[in-house]
Amino acid sequence: MKRIHHMNDSSELRRLLISPTRRELIAGAVALGAAAIGAPRSVLAQTRVPIPAGEFAPIPIAVPPFVPGGAGDADVANGIAQVINNNLKRSGLFAPVDQAAFPERISNFDAPPQIASWRPLNIQGLVTGRATRQPDGRLKAEFRLWDAVSGQQRTGQQYVTAPEYWRRIAHIISDQIYTAMTGEKGYFDSRVVFVDESGPADRRVKRLALMDQDGANVRYLTRGADLVLTPRFSPSSQEITYMEFGQGDPKVYLFNIETGQREIVGNFPGMSFSPRFSPDGQRIILSLQQGGNSNLFVMDLRSRTTTRLTDTPAIDTSPCYSPDGSQICFESDRGGKPQIYVMSANGGNAQRISFGEGSYSTPVWSPRGDYIAFTKQGGGQFAIGIMKTDGSGERILTSGFHNEGPTFSPNGRVLMFFRDLGGTGGPSLFSIDVSGRNELKVPTPGYASDPAWSPLLS
Amino acid sequence: MTSADLMQFIRTRKGTAFSVAAHVLVLCWSLFSFSARPMVLPAEDLVPVDVISEDNSSKAKAGALTGRKEVAKLLADKIGEKKPTEDIVGKVDPKPVTETDAAPTPQPKPEKPVEKKPDPPKPVEKKPDPPKPVAETKPEPPKPAPAEKPKPEEKKPDPFNPDQIASVLNKDKPKQPPKPQQTAAATPEPPKHKSERKFDAEKMSSLINQKDPTRQAVTGTELNANAALGTVRGAAAENAASWVALFQQQVNRCWKPPYTSVDANPVVAFNVRLRRDGTLEGPPVPVGAADTPFLRAYRDSAQRAIIACAPYNLPPKYYDDWGYFQPVFNEDARRT
Repeated sequence: MKRIHHMNDSSELRRLLISPTRRELIAGAVALGAAAIGAPRSVLAQTRVPIPAGEFAPIPIAVPPFVPGGAGDADVANGIAQVINNNLKRSGLFAPVDQAAFPERISNFDAPPQIASWRPLNIQGLVTGRATRQPDGRLKAEFRLWDAVSGQQRTGQQYVTAPEYWRRIAHIISDQIYTAMTGEKGYFDSRVVFVDESGPADRRVKRLALMDQDGANVRYLTRGADLVLTPRFSPSSQEITYMEFGQGDPKVYLFNIETGQREIVGNFPGMSFSPRFSPDGQRIILSLQQGGNSNLFVMDLRSRTTTRLTDTPAIDTSPCYSPDGSQICFESDRGGKPQIYVMSANGGNAQRISFGEGSYSTPVWSPRGDYIAFTKQGGGQFAIGIMKTDGSGERILTSGFHNEGPTFSPNGRVLMFFRDLGGTGGPSLFSIDVSGRNELKVPTPGYASDPAWSPLLS
Repeated sequence: MTSADLMQFIRTRKGTAFSVAAHVLVLCWSLFSFSARPMVLPAEDLVPVDVISEDNSSKAKAGALTGRKEVAKLLADKIGEKKPTEDIVGKVDPKPVTETDAAPTPQPKPEKPVEKKPDPPKPVEKKPDPPKPVAETKPEPPKPAPAEKPKPEEKKPDPFNPDQIASVLNKDKPKQPPKPQQTAAATPEPPKHKSERKFDAEKMSSLINQKDPTRQAVTGTELNANAALGTVRGAAAENAASWVALFQQQVNRCWKPPYTSVDANPVVAFNVRLRRDGTLEGPPVPVGAADTPFLRAYRDSAQRAIIACAPYNLPPKYYDDWGYFQPVFNEDARRT
């Protein structure tokens, strides 16, 4: 509509310019006069009014059930909306409105919603969608995100997939909404690998397990005959590296999630710890124990050659790469107590970045590059915290009897870690966002520890 | 079109010409006569009133409750109190002193600085005193008093001064009548300036402002009741009933900015046109481009806020200001 108006205006203007009759000249003069009168208001410098942001509050949003495309699609349609609601709510950045408050039932996906009727809810966004089983048996899911104030469509997509992957679609849609409303990448379409623990405390069975980031679709990757530790995702998200204690020395394995294949990375003398992928997925960095101390090594997965990075009479362990692969952070007790150090990925001088009370361990570099998360031990407490990569701005997010092993979500907004409350129970997984406001328990079938977050799947 | 053409035109098409002239007249007349203001509501002082939660209330009070501690450093330290009453008399002195210098152009006495301070009332006299007799009378009082330490005494002369002044005053009274002569003698003023220009290091003390800081009296035992005013946490300034504050407050109710974890300081500005009734004349127009997804989301949130919170209740008196203005949304305030 607007465009059409503009065209009319310009064509009128053209006529004026080409063949001005006297009457039109007069009309033009009058119009000019009127414009001159109106001008001062627009020509004068406007007052600039600073609007400081208030306290942060979750963004209110409404995600009504999707419209079922056919008779049998109601369950999936409801399920998708539920998963989206749950994702957004757990992120801590959104406040999904309860269904009971909805003013209208979205029954036609193709018609724009009655935005005016939603306004009393004070929502910022409204999501509508439709789920349809197609004749070929596949599931088609469509959604639209509406600006709940202006009534304009912000974004919209449709996806076709096998019906059993409807949760995945819900996660992808959640990410789209998250990005549109916050401007940041999402993290919902991702998975977490962790060590599942079952059985009595003296004979714990530890199995490698995989699940969606919201705790659904748990899959066990190992049988539990041998002890497994420190699983880590490859940046390609198809492979996991982990340690297994069988008979003899612990071995570092590569496990392909899709094929179920696993291979031994190498047979190193002595103990090896904390294997981790480089951002390009081509190398694995790990620490090897030699006598009383341990040092960092990089192994190239294609050439199968190793390079020594540190050579100190101290324990250097828990290495991690910066997202651009140019630097590594690691934990070392060369200064007396375990502290976090940063050095070039090729070795060289290491710079200590943690200077607080207590000892620091298990550093992890945020995928976003802005923070390094760590476990801090001191005063009888284990805390999870973050600091900037130069060691400044240290912030403790949570602390207690035992918190350990932080891992970043793909967008660097949320940390997952495991917590042990002591006593006879076992550890369980928790997530907390980098502001420290939003701590949540992550549902797992049993006790769980050592989580590692995958990159985004899509 | 030359004037000849114009005349020709008027002659040949009288009707049209008359019509044009009449239209122009009417238009011009209407510009001024019709431009009388539409009914404008009487200006009122507005005080923002908001229903807030207990939580907010305690936050708002935080500034006031802690204000004193914070501000204590800002206030001038309390100095030992001096007696203002006597000083007042002293204060009158310095100005006249410079004038006396002007009068005695001969500049006979280097000791003048000493004299001047004790002689507050003299100003009146001096102008009439080009004849020097006055100058002579003056030297007499100083000579006895100061040996060579006149300055220290001057500062603490409280006990002495009153007496001296009294004596001087007595002397002056008879001389006051000559005032009328001043008009005639007014011309001598230029010499005064000359004397001032001649910088005499010994007269330095006469140039110094010897008024004691009057603030001491104010900052005595009672501290400013609005101690928190102007500090970061002080909320008093926000109580001003300015339309800016009103707008900020109203638009903030609708603004739900996305949370930022990075140390970005997003700034988004809009051009906003409001009608007199506070409704939006059109959608807010963003100023500049939003380059990153985050800035876009941030801008969208601000745009939603402006639309959602309309109409705005702003003082009509300032419509000229808020009819077209530029709200600038940024994060800064929250981070501090």
